[in-house]
Amino acid sequence: MNCADVHRALPEIDDGVLNAEFQAHIQSCPSCSALVSDLELISSEARQLAESEEPSPMLWFRIADELRAEGLIREPEGQTSRPVLVLPKQRSWNAWWLVPVAAVLMIGGIYLLQPKPAGEIARQPSITPQTAVNSAPASEESQSPQEQQADDQQFLDEVAQSAPMMKATYENELRSVNSYISDARAYAQQNPDDEDARRNLMEAYEQKQVLYQMALSNIQ
Amino acid sequence: MTDPKQAKITEAEAIERAKQGDEAAFEVLYHLHKRRVYSLCLRMVSNPAQAEDLAQEAFLQLFRKVGTFRGESAFSTWLHRMTVNVVLMHLRKKNLPAVSLEETIETDEETQRKELGTEDVKLTGSIERLQLQRAIDRLPPGYKTIFVLHDVQGFEHNEIAEMVGCSIGNSKSQLHKARLKLRDYLKSMRAEKASKS
Repeated sequence: MNCADVHRALPEIDDGVLNAEFQAHIQSCPSCSALVSDLELISSEARQLAESEEPSPMLWFRIADELRAEGLIREPEGQTSRPVLVLPKQRSWNAWWLVPVAAVLMIGGIYLLQPKPAGEIARQPSITPQTAVNSAPASEESQSPQEQQADDQQFLDEVAQSAPMMKATYENELRSVNSYISDARAYAQQNPDDEDARRNLMEAYEQKQVLYQMALSNIQ
Repeated sequence: MTDPKQAKITEAEAIERAKQGDEAAFEVLYHLHKRRVYSLCLRMVSNPAQAEDLAQEAFLQLFRKVGTFRGESAFSTWLHRMTVNVVLMHLRKKNLPAVSLEETIETDEETQRKELGTEDVKLTGSIERLQLQRAIDRLPPGYKTIFVLHDVQGFEHNEIAEMVGCSIGNSKSQLHKARLKLRDYLKSMRAEKASKS
């Protein structure tokens, strides 16, 4: 088997099973070996993308509105259609703590996306892409991981109390958005000049913001 | 008040409740499948706003028909195929070739000749997710469709051929060419990044 034979055979190999002749050539030919290895890597990495993206939380609201308009959502008699969250009194919370959280997340996000003219950057030498990444969403960044975890847990406890059927959903949502924030933050810190990375981070914080807004809309 | 111990709801229970018009059940089903649906749409159209519109349409079609679901196949399979159909219809309406039959600029022979002359420099380590996403976004529409359906979403060639309306051989050939193009894109991205650092 030669290189041309390998290239002709490659499109037909779907299950990764290579015959002995094919394998022998791969082992002796660096070029074909590199090609096969690269194509396998691309294929395997691609599977990670199957569920890698998260739509905006507002998408559910649009779908629900349409379902309601089409009469596919039926209101149970004598009950409210959406679960209502009741916050505890042992911590000095009320629903309005979500408003500044949401606002800070948005302001941080808008700052991240603002292109700064070169002159302005020169006049403000302390503002670098790295510090912009580090300073965004102050409410998230200023809290320790333990405090953030405590807030998230209390949020989930309230959902469990008032809307138990939704607890697992919100738990998954929170886990997912926190993981997204963590990945996006790490990538943005490694690639401070990458605007897509900063946009990604902003979107991650927006996701969490809207998740809290969804809870707020139930409370009001 | 619902017993907190019964907080967790299975997909099967959510489907039955959705058939009765239970909003929370619809929401559970949505959250269970939204990432896969949206990721598929986004990979195919490379535009977040369009992808959300398509994902919305896919879920609406699903929820309108949920009363007819009898469980012969997995719910996720049903939803997945519905999503693919929604996206392909969108591409067809825009006159974009779902499969670039001969939008391929090069023949199979030309592809092989090119590859035989290529340096044997391997892509090492893992591929950064954003880089792979950008590379996929650059693919011509036909290659992108086949690659996303097969390598990203896991459909088999016979399923792709049926959905897209091409032959199994064509699906395999398109996939191979897509992977070769991605390899080229990723190598040039890495070379560009290395030259900047």
